[in-house]
Amino acid sequence: MDQIIDTLIAVVVAIGASAALFIGANKLFDLAPTRWRLFNAGAGAFVGLIVFFSLFANQWLTSPALWILLGTVVGGAIGYALGGATDRVTRLGVGAIGGTVMGLLAGIGLKETTDVTDQGDVVATSSNFPSLDPVNIVIWLVIGAAVGAGYWALRGRRTPIERDLVLFATIGWIFGSILVADLDGSKAEAVIAAAVIGLGLGTRVGLVPSPDQRAKEGLAGISRKYIFLTPALFFIFLTLVAPLVRTLYLSLFDVGLSATGEADFIGLENYGTIFTDETIIDLSNWTNIFGSALFWWGIGLLAVGLGVGLTLGRRRGHTFEGSGGSVVPTSLGIGLLVFAIFTSIRGTIANNLWWVFVVTVLATSLGLAIAVLADRAKGERFAKSLIFLPMALSFVGAGIIWRFMYIARDPSKDQTGVFNAAWVKLGELSNSGTGSTIAIVVLVAILGGLAFLAMRGRRADAGGVLYGSLALMLPVIWLIYRLLGPGLGGFQEGPNGETLPDTILFLQEPPFNNLWLMVVLIWIQVGFSMVIFSAAIKAVPQELIEASKVDGATESQTFWRVVVPQIANTIGVVVTTLIVLVTKVFDIVKVMTNGNFDTQVLANEMWQRAFTELKIGLGSALAVLLFISVIPIMYINIRRMQKAAA
Amino acid sequence: MATILDKNKVYAAGEAGMVEGLGPRVYRFLKAIPTWVLWLLVILWTIPTFSLFVNSFRTRDAQRASGWWEMFTGGEVGFTLENYQDVLAANATGGLWEALLNSIAIAVPATVIPIAIAAFAAYGFAWIDFKGREWLFIVTVSLLAIPLQVSLIPLLQMYSGGAHYTLPFVDKTITIVPYLQLEGTTTAVWLTHTGFALPFAIFLLHNYISDLPKDIFESARIDGADHFKIFYKLVLPLSVPVLAAFAIFQFLWTWNDYLIALTMIGSNGQALPATVKIASLAGEFGLREHLLTAGAFIQSALPIVVFFALQRYFVRGMTAGSVKG
Repeated sequence: MDQIIDTLIAVVVAIGASAALFIGANKLFDLAPTRWRLFNAGAGAFVGLIVFFSLFANQWLTSPALWILLGTVVGGAIGYALGGATDRVTRLGVGAIGGTVMGLLAGIGLKETTDVTDQGDVVATSSNFPSLDPVNIVIWLVIGAAVGAGYWALRGRRTPIERDLVLFATIGWIFGSILVADLDGSKAEAVIAAAVIGLGLGTRVGLVPSPDQRAKEGLAGISRKYIFLTPALFFIFLTLVAPLVRTLYLSLFDVGLSATGEADFIGLENYGTIFTDETIIDLSNWTNIFGSALFWWGIGLLAVGLGVGLTLGRRRGHTFEGSGGSVVPTSLGIGLLVFAIFTSIRGTIANNLWWVFVVTVLATSLGLAIAVLADRAKGERFAKSLIFLPMALSFVGAGIIWRFMYIARDPSKDQTGVFNAAWVKLGELSNSGTGSTIAIVVLVAILGGLAFLAMRGRRADAGGVLYGSLALMLPVIWLIYRLLGPGLGGFQEGPNGETLPDTILFLQEPPFNNLWLMVVLIWIQVGFSMVIFSAAIKAVPQELIEASKVDGATESQTFWRVVVPQIANTIGVVVTTLIVLVTKVFDIVKVMTNGNFDTQVLANEMWQRAFTELKIGLGSALAVLLFISVIPIMYINIRRMQKAAA
Repeated sequence: MATILDKNKVYAAGEAGMVEGLGPRVYRFLKAIPTWVLWLLVILWTIPTFSLFVNSFRTRDAQRASGWWEMFTGGEVGFTLENYQDVLAANATGGLWEALLNSIAIAVPATVIPIAIAAFAAYGFAWIDFKGREWLFIVTVSLLAIPLQVSLIPLLQMYSGGAHYTLPFVDKTITIVPYLQLEGTTTAVWLTHTGFALPFAIFLLHNYISDLPKDIFESARIDGADHFKIFYKLVLPLSVPVLAAFAIFQFLWTWNDYLIALTMIGSNGQALPATVKIASLAGEFGLREHLLTAGAFIQSALPIVVFFALQRYFVRGMTAGSVKG
């Protein structure tokens, strides 16, 4: 319960502080045109707060609360005074004195040493007081002034030179007195160093003349974009941009890099490790591709699909005709080829590519198919709800649900997983004389029905019915053959020639256990693509569909030549979204196999290397690999957005 | 022109040939196939969830002895509510109750805070003119495709030690983010979610907010309203549908998140959310496997309720922007 309350407090504080900051900033800049002094006081207080808060964050202040409060109040007072000063001399004076006071405060507030900690343990102490070395300081002041003059000249000499001189000389002072100095000085030296910084920056502010009314109003306007955008950009920078850069950096180092510890720079060695590790990418069995039945079936189907598509296309005057008869065999063929490749080339990267291909293609096409089936069907909304439901579940929950589906118990006992139970039942059926006879009779009846349909389809000149029925006859014939000949389902021959039940270890038998894991993600994601396609299909103008019907197009032709081109953009969106999602698949693999039994994927590999083996460098390199693999998709998305904006 | 023709006649003309050739009965049979296939798929899609649901009410012995479908054929049912009691109850590592509270402690701030921040930014990108706006917007939104894995290591280091930068050449270290003892806390998780959610949230809200009619902004500005006033008096109330859609999406996303919670909380059993909890139950196998059904179902119950109660917003949140393309 305690940590809940802690969290609650943290949340309330965070929300309250952010809201106060946001509304406060808006209100503050509202004051600029009308109540300039008050605005200056607020801005000054804010600067004081930021300065002293950064000192506190660096653990450089003796008693943080006191100094932060003091800094805020003094900052506000200086701002108020500066806002009231209008003539040149007063502004310069107020700026210089105010800055010096702030610098003095900061210097006096500094504490002598800081503990450098790592995970809460003190690993070193460092002094905070610089020792002032006149030679260093003079050199850096001169360099600073020179850079300032150069900068002024580069800017076209439009502003008075002293502004740039003062600013850059101050930066020079920061270098000379603190950054390159040894940290073994006295408190007095620290105070002087800080006071001079304050003096310089204060003078720089004082050199700017008081703005006129138009400038004040402009300030109120210009500031809005910063107020509205800063919170978001800050968080995005903190959690995405900066970590991305650091991960790129860490990927070039060996292990052992902690917040403060040392690490060995090893260049691209981590990437070399990735591509030479046989568990990550193993090309040694690539010749198996050609020995696999999948490969030849794939080539065959591809030839059929391309043949149909090209022939129909030539007849109609374009290269490839999209239709059920051409697209289905072509994609099945490509799918089988991909399976042949990824059952031979193994390893984490191969698994990841396999995932991306299978899940993207199946979730997209099944989603599209269901959207089409459901369109204007009875109970459309209810059916779509049930298919969309898995989208609401967590990947962890889905993984657990499917683990129970895939359970394989001891073959001698009753199966409690749906798939193995069905598989074993099928085995029993095909081995029992009456059972298999009945099944064969039913299948032959179905075959007859299909033949009848094909005949009618030929008579009615409906190609879809004719070829669809013929295509469906093939698997039925195959089933009959299995039942008559080698048998079907989960059984094995026992030691005495009797038949015993046999199960499939869905999650443990590589390489196809990968496929059973992919099924889980497909089960989840079909709902997503279905809903998007459903909306897109309903958005296709009804006139187009009616026009194509008037021209005598069949349902199938209307779909392939009117609907598909109309939703092409949507297909692109779904495919890219899915590719990004699948590339970083993690939860399902982690929960169901934890990458064992040859099911490792990149995201889990990265997690294990980085967070269980603490090989931070290698983990970072794997993360970078994931990042690189989505860059093409990011590019496509950017192009799409630019087009939409234009 | 098709539009001037009577719709029914068009269909009748197109289909007459088919009906004649195939015979009316065959034609009706073929017409019905899509619906059958659809409902077959619906049943297939529902079986896994339904299995889990039924099994969660069966005793350990019953779960192990027979499949749930055998209750229709006279198998052992073994009805019990004990699984739910056991998995919720506190034990050495804390029960699922605590984990559910942790999930809420993560999901609520991780939903509320990004919505506010993203609404500011979306308004800024949509209605405040400035140089480089288009470019900055595209960069921001394109980050939504970044795999979160690239951020995990640096963020974990930041939570467990702050962020420090050692200046090159002079070898002095300054602290950019102080060490706030955030490792292993739910705060670290929702902070992370907040940052990760923003690109998508800005994208979604921007699509909606930039489509609001221009006139209302102009007339408001003539009446002397400034950006802040327009934002909270006009834009926020008008954007309630998209805010709700995003809120539901983001709440479920963080409720269901596993990767970030697992990484940021790690071994602090006290702060684990429900997903990590049931995943660790799943890792045990064997003895407490029967509790997994109830645990997974409890974790899923809230999303399922939200899904059915607020389906329209939910679907809009999941799909908004994509169709626009």
